[in-house]
Amino acid sequence: MGKIQMFEKPLGMRDSFPEVNEQKEYIRSTARNFIRNKGYDFIKTPSVEYFETIGKASAIDESSLFKLVDNQGETLVLRPDMTTPIARIAASKLLKEKNPLRLAYYANVFRAQQREGGRPAEFEQLGLELIGDFSAYGDSEIIHTAVELVKTLGVERFRITIGHAGLLTAFLTNNTNTVEQVDTLRQLLVEKNFVGFEQKLDDLGLLEEQKENLTKLIDYTIDFKTFENFRPFLTDEQQYLIDQVEQLKRLLKLQLSDPSIVSFDFSLASHMSYYTGMLFEIYAAGSGFPIGNGGRYDELFQQFGEQVGAIGFGIRVDRLLEVLRQDIVKEKRTLLLFTEGAYLEANKLAEERRNNAERVTLQYVEGVHDLDAYKQNFDEVLIVSEGGSLHE
Amino acid sequence: MNELTIAMPKGRIFEEAYQLFVEAGFDLPQEISDSRKLIVEAPGERIQFILAKPMDVPVYVEHGVADIGIAGKDVLLEQLRDVHELLDLHISNCYIATAGLPNTTMNEIAPRVATKYPTIATNFYKEKGEQVEIIELNGSIELAPMIGLADRIVDIVSTGQTLKENGLVEYEKIVDISSRLIVNPVSYRVKSERIREFVAQLKKELIKR
Repeated sequence: MGKIQMFEKPLGMRDSFPEVNEQKEYIRSTARNFIRNKGYDFIKTPSVEYFETIGKASAIDESSLFKLVDNQGETLVLRPDMTTPIARIAASKLLKEKNPLRLAYYANVFRAQQREGGRPAEFEQLGLELIGDFSAYGDSEIIHTAVELVKTLGVERFRITIGHAGLLTAFLTNNTNTVEQVDTLRQLLVEKNFVGFEQKLDDLGLLEEQKENLTKLIDYTIDFKTFENFRPFLTDEQQYLIDQVEQLKRLLKLQLSDPSIVSFDFSLASHMSYYTGMLFEIYAAGSGFPIGNGGRYDELFQQFGEQVGAIGFGIRVDRLLEVLRQDIVKEKRTLLLFTEGAYLEANKLAEERRNNAERVTLQYVEGVHDLDAYKQNFDEVLIVSEGGSLHE
Repeated sequence: MNELTIAMPKGRIFEEAYQLFVEAGFDLPQEISDSRKLIVEAPGERIQFILAKPMDVPVYVEHGVADIGIAGKDVLLEQLRDVHELLDLHISNCYIATAGLPNTTMNEIAPRVATKYPTIATNFYKEKGEQVEIIELNGSIELAPMIGLADRIVDIVSTGQTLKENGLVEYEKIVDISSRLIVNPVSYRVKSERIREFVAQLKKELIKR
C-alpha cells in the first residue's frame, strides 16, 4: 500500500454528505413512526462488544469482524449485527419484564470487506425482533410488517422470497450421510450455484437414491409448484415442517393486500447460519443485492441460556437508498442576504419565516466570495437592505 | 412479458451459445454474429443481447445491468462475483492445469508461478500447502518457463497443442472448465417467472444433447 492520501478513508468507510444524510434521516423517522405504531420499542446497544460473547454468537464470519483489544487485554469487536446484542439484552434482562417482547433498532453495524474495498464496511441497518413467540402468527406478523414498511418507505417494485431453513436442513440431512455434506450442499445453495450442487453430488459418494432426490430439489426449485411435493422426502416426525409453511402461506394470503409479491423457494438458504425456521429475503428493482432479509432464529437464544422463539428482519439502509427515488426529501431552501446596516431587520425576517417552518439561511452579503455560485444552492434568494427594503 | 438482458462473451463462445439458444427453440434473428454492434435486439423473444469481453460478463451480471450472462467457469472462479450459477451449458469445455518444462521441479528458494488467473493459482497452491510467488501475466503465459521467469504456469488447456508446440508438459489438473449460465440474484427474484421459464427451456435442450 502506498502513502495514504489526505482524502482517503479506511477501506469500506463512507461519508454521508448532507443530501444523503437527509434521506437517511427521512428513512429513519418514517420507519420509526411506522414501527412504533406496531408496538415495537426502539433500543440502542454499544458499538463495541466482547468477541467472546457477541463476536462468537453472531452469524457473521470471524474474518469479517473488526477486532480491537481493550486495556485489560480482552478482545473486542465492533458490532457486526444487531440481532445478537438484542438477544443478549433480551435474555439477560428485558424478557423477564415483558414476554413476548417487541424490539426495534436503527443502528450502524461493521463488517470488514475482504474483496472490493469500495463496498461498505460500515452501514446502517433498520430492523425489528419479535422475541418469545413460536407461532406461525409471529412469522406472518414479521413478513407482513416488512412488506408494509418497505412500501411505506416508498419502494415501488419489490418481491419477497420465503424459504424454510428447518425444512431444507431436514431434506438435506435425510439424503446425505454426514453433517459436513449437509453444510457443503447448503453453502452451494446459498450461492445459488446449481451447477456446483449437481457436480458435488458425484463427489460426495452418495447413494443413487440420495442423488436422485437431491437432483429433484434443483428441478423443483426451477419449476416450483407446491411444498406438498416434498412430503414423500420427509419422515413422519418431519411432516409438521410442511404444515408450518402451509399455515404461513395461508396467513399471508389473508393478511397481504397483494400476495403476488410473495414467492416461495424451497432452496432458499442464508449465509446467516442461525436461522432455524422460515426465512426470507427482500429484493427490489434497482439494487443488485437483497435490500433486506430476516427469519426465525430460535437457537440463537440457547447460546444465551433461554428457550424462546424469536423472529426478526433487518433492512440495509444503504441498499434502500439505491432503490429509492432521489427526491424523497423535498424542502424549499431560502437564502436571506443582508447588507451593511440591515442585520436586525434581516434577523427579524428570518425568524418570521422560520416560525412558518421555512428553512432560512442568513448570510452577510459581503462575506460571500462568489455570490452567483453560492446562490445556486438555494431555491429562493432575497436581499435585505438598510431600512428593511426587500428585493431579489 | 418482461424484457431480458443477456450479456454474451464476444467470439467463439458467443457462436456456440447462440446456436444452443436457437436449437432450444428461441425465436432469434438469423444473422447477428458478423455485425459490430454491441447491443443486439431479439424482438421476437423480447431479449436484448449485450456483447462484452468474456472477463466482463460477470461484472455486468453482478451489477444487474444484465439479468443473465454466459461466462466461463475460469472467469467465475477467478473473480468470485456475487451471481447465481444455474446451468452448465457444456460448451467450450477445457480445464485449468499447471504446466512447465519437462522433468523440472519447483525452485526451492523462490518458487514462481506465472498465470492469467492469480486467484485460482493462489488458492490451488494454498490448498497444497505450498507458498509460491504468483506472477500475473496477461497473455502468452507459455513464455514464462521458457525464458526462466517462472517454474510453472497455471493456464487453460483445451487440446494441449499450445503447450506441446512450446515444449511444455502438463503437471497437475486443477479444475474442469465450461461455460455457465449465470443470473443476477435480484433479477432471479424480480423477474423470476421469465427467468425460470428461460432456464427450463434451455435445460430441456441440454438434456437432449
